[in-house]
Amino acid sequence: MLHKFRAHVSLTILLSLFSTAAFAAVDDLNPTGEFKIFPAILMLGLLVLFVAIGFLAKATTTDDYWAAGRGIGQIGGGMAIASNWMSAASYLGMAGLIYLQGYFGISYVVGWTGGYVLLLVLVAGPIRRYGKYTAPDFIGDRYYSTAARLLSSFIVIIISFVYAVGQYKGIGMMFNWIFGINYEVSVVVGTAVVLAYVLVSGMLGATKNMQVQYVVIVVCLLCPLFFIANKLGYFSIVPQIGYGAALWDIGHAGNGISAAAADPAYYLPFSQKSAYQWFALCITLMLGTAGLPHVIGRFYVVPRVSDARWQVVWGLFFIALVYWTAPAFAAFAKFSNLLGTAGVAISPDAIVVNAAELAGLPEWFAGFIAAGAVSAAFSTVGGLLMTGAAAFSHDIYYRVLNPNASEVTKLRIARIGTIVLGVSIILVALKPPMLIGQIVAVAFALGGNTFFPLFLLGLWWSRTTKEAAIAGMLVGLAVTFGTLFIPKTSILAYYLPATSSCILGVPLVLATMVVVSLLTKEPAQEIKELLYHVHNDAPIPASPAPAPAVPGRGPGVAPEPA
Amino acid sequence: MSEHAGDLNINFFRPVGEFMKKDVAMKKLIIAIWFIATYGFLWLLQLVADPTDTVTITLNTGQVIQQVTGKSFLTETQFIGFPFHYWFHAQFCIAMFIGLCYWYCKFIDKLEANRS
Repeated sequence: MLHKFRAHVSLTILLSLFSTAAFAAVDDLNPTGEFKIFPAILMLGLLVLFVAIGFLAKATTTDDYWAAGRGIGQIGGGMAIASNWMSAASYLGMAGLIYLQGYFGISYVVGWTGGYVLLLVLVAGPIRRYGKYTAPDFIGDRYYSTAARLLSSFIVIIISFVYAVGQYKGIGMMFNWIFGINYEVSVVVGTAVVLAYVLVSGMLGATKNMQVQYVVIVVCLLCPLFFIANKLGYFSIVPQIGYGAALWDIGHAGNGISAAAADPAYYLPFSQKSAYQWFALCITLMLGTAGLPHVIGRFYVVPRVSDARWQVVWGLFFIALVYWTAPAFAAFAKFSNLLGTAGVAISPDAIVVNAAELAGLPEWFAGFIAAGAVSAAFSTVGGLLMTGAAAFSHDIYYRVLNPNASEVTKLRIARIGTIVLGVSIILVALKPPMLIGQIVAVAFALGGNTFFPLFLLGLWWSRTTKEAAIAGMLVGLAVTFGTLFIPKTSILAYYLPATSSCILGVPLVLATMVVVSLLTKEPAQEIKELLYHVHNDAPIPASPAPAPAVPGRGPGVAPEPA
Repeated sequence: MSEHAGDLNINFFRPVGEFMKKDVAMKKLIIAIWFIATYGFLWLLQLVADPTDTVTITLNTGQVIQQVTGKSFLTETQFIGFPFHYWFHAQFCIAMFIGLCYWYCKFIDKLEANRS
């Protein structure tokens, strides 16, 4: 018994170390960066392109700024969802994790895709029909409470902030690797570029940019893989299938790997972690996906509810292209490593770059991959800045502080919000805390522990009250941040690690909300009627009052329910 | 909606109205498939694992422990090159998620078209 307990304790320590590696995507890529000519030209070209797209797609109205004029198509919207979603952590960090942990790392792949099924089936359609622009807007409206609106805006800002700190760090590392300038300068330069196009064009430019960035991400990631598979002698027409044989050879000593070097722990399911750990992490990533505010925000950029749903299908397909590919990089790198390719220093967080080096491909290949990684980080930061700034200027300033603000004032406040958020993130990213990756993971669990239960009950149980919403958010915050203070050596930390806290957190928050709802006064009849329409009627306008879809209508122009 | 005035309460487990009933039935089916395919398979892997096949892991604390590796016919069957279980989670599950989303979108579009 004691033995088993100690095993749990030790596994907990191991897991927390690995979960840190999960998000510290681009650490140790090249600490002594030096100027590299081809990657530098490629990167500068992309930067000019991103800013140019931002300027060409200049926002003129708040509707453009917040919801891209509601004129983005399904496929374009899907690309935007995908590139908004895929950060430097997905692009580089995930492959590194699979390289380290084999089958356990697949939990990230499944979790980060499976969440979209929940998102589509339970959240996307109804919330789009509800007709609100942002997550706090929905929560403030559905839960008829200014306190709930403020609290949820605050949570959105926390999530955006910590998530973006990780991305800024990623951008800084990549700029450092490509240009050889020091990390601090890299962070400031990279951020200036993101801010430039977000400020000028808002969501419209961000959306257009996300589409371009998606193409860059996919081309940069997919192309090198064909050459790697070919070089190692695997089926290279579809290397995503070819790597299966490499996986088999890693575990069974095939294709030149000596029996002594074979590593069955790479593919065997529980040779590194327990089934519970796999399940807990996977379900947390899924629930987090369905509760991330910057993903929800993407449903408002399409003209019709049907488009919002189809956008999820396309988005998931585009994400899948990358998520089918990342494990292949990991497996090929592992294979090359076991084969004994000498002269390449392995850095798990940069395994996508290392895979090309291990397979003996020229250095400029790494330039492509680095450019893709920066694009991935940029597109995510763009979406995060927009979401965080929206919470600040729309949900806090306009809805609570100054409801009579004019269109011009709102746009100005939105820009000020973006700058304040962008600059304050720089300050943290310049001297990132030691366990920044862990904090980013906590932000993910925070989305699942707070927004997911609020969306779920808010949309599917009309009895949910405002008191329940506030209690739910507080419990969610407590669970998420509480996990940081659990001693790493306790048995509780095994069952409730910071990266997997949704497995127990979400049921706890749901239970709290149900109990509090039943103890408090029922929501007003208008709320129930509105929900009834959301589930039973043709798409309804943004508010109970007649509100035709006039271009240029700013968010919240519709009158507040009395 | 005056004919529904007495029953406006929305509850996922007690859907009201023709449209919501059909919609929720479909959602339940999709969520069941989603959950069983992803986590039921994980449970199956645990269930059929060869109890005699254990692995010795040296943890970073220096402690050495024994754990079942999960080796079974599911992991030792080769499917298009992959160990079957790896292919199932890393490739099939993702494709299935896309398929489920596609299926739901088709369904709900048709349901909405019939309603009007």
